[in-house]
Amino acid sequence: MKKILYTIAVCAIALAGSSCSKLDDYDAPSETLTGSVIDAGTGKTLQTEIGGGGTRIKLLEISWSDNPTPFYISSMQDGTFNYTKLFPGKNKISAEGAFVPLVQTDASGATTVDKSQTFDIKGTTTVNFSVDPFLRIEWQGEPVLNADGTISATFKFTRGTDDPNFQQDITDVRLFVNSNKFIGNNNFDDRYSTQINYSGSDGNVQVGQLITITTKGGPLPASREYFLRVGARTNYGLKYYNYTDVKTVTVP
Amino acid sequence: MKKTIYILICFFVCWTSACRKMDIPPINIIQDKDVLNNAGGVQAYMARLYSQLPIEDFRYSPQRGLNFFWIISPFPAGTGEALSRDQRGAMQENVDESPWAESYSLIRDANYFMENLSKYSGNFTEAQVNSWLGEARFIRAATYFALVKRYGGVPLVDKVLEYPTPDPESLNVPRASEEAIYDFIATDLDFAYQNMDESNQVGRANKYVAAGFKSRAMLYAGSIAKYNNITLVDAAGNRVCGIPSAKAVTYFKAAYDAAVLLENKYSLYKNGWKAGDKAAQYQNFVDLFFDKGSNENVFVRQYHYPESVHGYDAYNVPRQLMGANGYSSEVNPTLDYVELFDGIPKNADGTIKTTTGGKYDLYTNTMDLFANAEPRLRATVILPGDQFKGQGIEIRRGIYTGSSAGGISPLLPAGSTANYPTNNIVQSSNASQTPYTLPDGSTMNPAGLSGIFTGDGTAAISGFSVRKWLVPDKPTSEVLENRSDQTWIEMRYAEVLLNRAEAAYELNDLGQNDKNYLQDAFTDINQIRERAGADLLASAANLNNIDIIRKERRKELGFENKIWWDMRRWRTVDKEQNSTLYRVLMPFYSANDKKYFFDARTDERNIRYTFDVRWYYEQIPNGEIQKSQKLIQNPGY
Repeated sequence: MKKILYTIAVCAIALAGSSCSKLDDYDAPSETLTGSVIDAGTGKTLQTEIGGGGTRIKLLEISWSDNPTPFYISSMQDGTFNYTKLFPGKNKISAEGAFVPLVQTDASGATTVDKSQTFDIKGTTTVNFSVDPFLRIEWQGEPVLNADGTISATFKFTRGTDDPNFQQDITDVRLFVNSNKFIGNNNFDDRYSTQINYSGSDGNVQVGQLITITTKGGPLPASREYFLRVGARTNYGLKYYNYTDVKTVTVP
Repeated sequence: MKKTIYILICFFVCWTSACRKMDIPPINIIQDKDVLNNAGGVQAYMARLYSQLPIEDFRYSPQRGLNFFWIISPFPAGTGEALSRDQRGAMQENVDESPWAESYSLIRDANYFMENLSKYSGNFTEAQVNSWLGEARFIRAATYFALVKRYGGVPLVDKVLEYPTPDPESLNVPRASEEAIYDFIATDLDFAYQNMDESNQVGRANKYVAAGFKSRAMLYAGSIAKYNNITLVDAAGNRVCGIPSAKAVTYFKAAYDAAVLLENKYSLYKNGWKAGDKAAQYQNFVDLFFDKGSNENVFVRQYHYPESVHGYDAYNVPRQLMGANGYSSEVNPTLDYVELFDGIPKNADGTIKTTTGGKYDLYTNTMDLFANAEPRLRATVILPGDQFKGQGIEIRRGIYTGSSAGGISPLLPAGSTANYPTNNIVQSSNASQTPYTLPDGSTMNPAGLSGIFTGDGTAAISGFSVRKWLVPDKPTSEVLENRSDQTWIEMRYAEVLLNRAEAAYELNDLGQNDKNYLQDAFTDINQIRERAGADLLASAANLNNIDIIRKERRKELGFENKIWWDMRRWRTVDKEQNSTLYRVLMPFYSANDKKYFFDARTDERNIRYTFDVRWYYEQIPNGEIQKSQKLIQNPGY
């Protein structure tokens, strides 16, 4: 009697144990999506900030649903992106950021512009977007270290689009200073970074003008490098900033 | 034979027990027929709905959501009204404490009431039934308003959704447009206004409360139509974020008309008010928050110790009146806020004047600077040295020991965010202080009893402490968490007047001239100002900027958890909080002069506030998005 019980118990354990070994054999995501968001006017990648306030890539996986929940990939600061843990599948890909939206709808919800791209993501997929930034900000010469220990930077900004629907008032322009190269509206040293606010349409006359901004807060502490960047934005939607690339100034 | 007996016994046992009727309703569950067929049951049903109404009262903070006792990152510390040691920067409501799910439970309960009350209407008069239906509509509208002001358009559910159902797709309700939600709120409140009684129990709505809420909701809708820049349209053409600007006039008119309905039904509280008597005007403004019979209270939520409590006094009393739980001074009004008021010396740019010719002005007492302060300011904010609970509230940053010959120059260059120099200044890092010996041999603590301490933040870190809502005669032994039970005034007539003034100004601004709207706004603002003891506007022509009305709103409704929503609907907060440092006022005692001087500077902690533009539409909780493929997220999240 006991023997039978033991036999049954052993069988049950063996069965239970072997059933545990069943593998969930769907492969871990390993496909790569890479590419850039490029300013159509200059051919360069469009500078942005890292994190929630910067460019992000929007993926709609349409292989199984025509109304999927979007999946977002944050862009890097220089406007490129690289994501290596995607599942294979058919995706409709677009981007959001400080540029004329790639997908636009009219008041009735009908899509009027759709520059999103559809790809079967497998292996390494490269996608580039050509966009019109709201503002195109360009350095004019290198930032200079002044005799009083501050730094001045000269730049100008122009409209990146001719479409008046996307030429809202310019609300503020800022010289961001930071002690590391990751720099933007969400990461800067507020002791030295200078901000110019425009009310109403006052900022619009600055388009195309040379603007010089000097750091505030007195002389910058010496013997180190500073990273500088200019950002400006318009009163459109979520008010993303457009940026220049990052310049380095060494204070001896 | 034995077998037969057993069979018979079995048979009888089964047969007789089957006689007992088993199909009876569960007797441990209160059912519709117990609740909805008598007035007491309906009252109990309503009590629960009201208790769950999503209003930001004493038990709300953006960090911990609605109906939570621990309020140490207070709402006013996110708007520039105040600084708090536990609030380190701008924030939006914590998405994990979102009221989304609870709101839909409440909407379901309101819908359920509307659909089922008719089955028992034979027990009541028609007027009773209509009034209750109106009340349920009011609750539904107030709940939808709590949702729409956060998220924009939300799924519109106007009936009880049955689950389980053969058609699960019918539960998958997409977001309606923001406009549709506001219109739905207006319709519900109109129904409530038409069907409810003129009066109701305290804490419950009547027809004028419905009108008051309508003026609030429609003002929000009008502001969004006029000032919003964010658009999100779903595939079906519903604009879930944003309202067409053409609708601004419609909504502002609705707000104005609704506000007018309360005229002569409620009034500004002036029981103790006397013309020209600042002390009486001050006392009157303090009392208005505690007089249960105040005719200014439109809609309130009552508390009662020990069943229903909050801890407002414990968290917010000045440091020197701290209770046994060890909390105090969580809400410290900023200098920016104090400068909005009249009656304090000011520079040409509107900032407080503390220097003359580059040297500090000296005062014998800290209150001398505020000798002519607007009574409403004193009733809202405890100024350094002012009286509270029979004590002078001592707020002092430190003792200046430097020479005073020829006057004292500012301690720091204008606009500096640096720390104060430590030579010539004696200060305390916490409440256990070492007295400093003054030149005349007497001793004095470096900091006041209520701060400011440099080490811990348990003090009036801005130089001010909040007074509004604090019970003036509560003994310190009762200044405890969960021991306060003063009434929350969710809507008072002053707000309705301000809604009316703002709507009228906007209508005038949009070219509407079917009434003299500007004159109306001018009269409303001056009524508020007169009661407050503030300077009156000379004429309607002086009302030439919307900011005059917006500032009045901040002054009147400060610390009442309304300003955040106002700043959002005006779409001004992203400019106002753009790497912003709020300002503070630091009183120092000059040992050689035996007098006080004040230094106005930016927050010593250098905490900057930046509003993320995405926050104009809050993030919908991801858990809700996962439940429904049709629910689309707000922009940027």
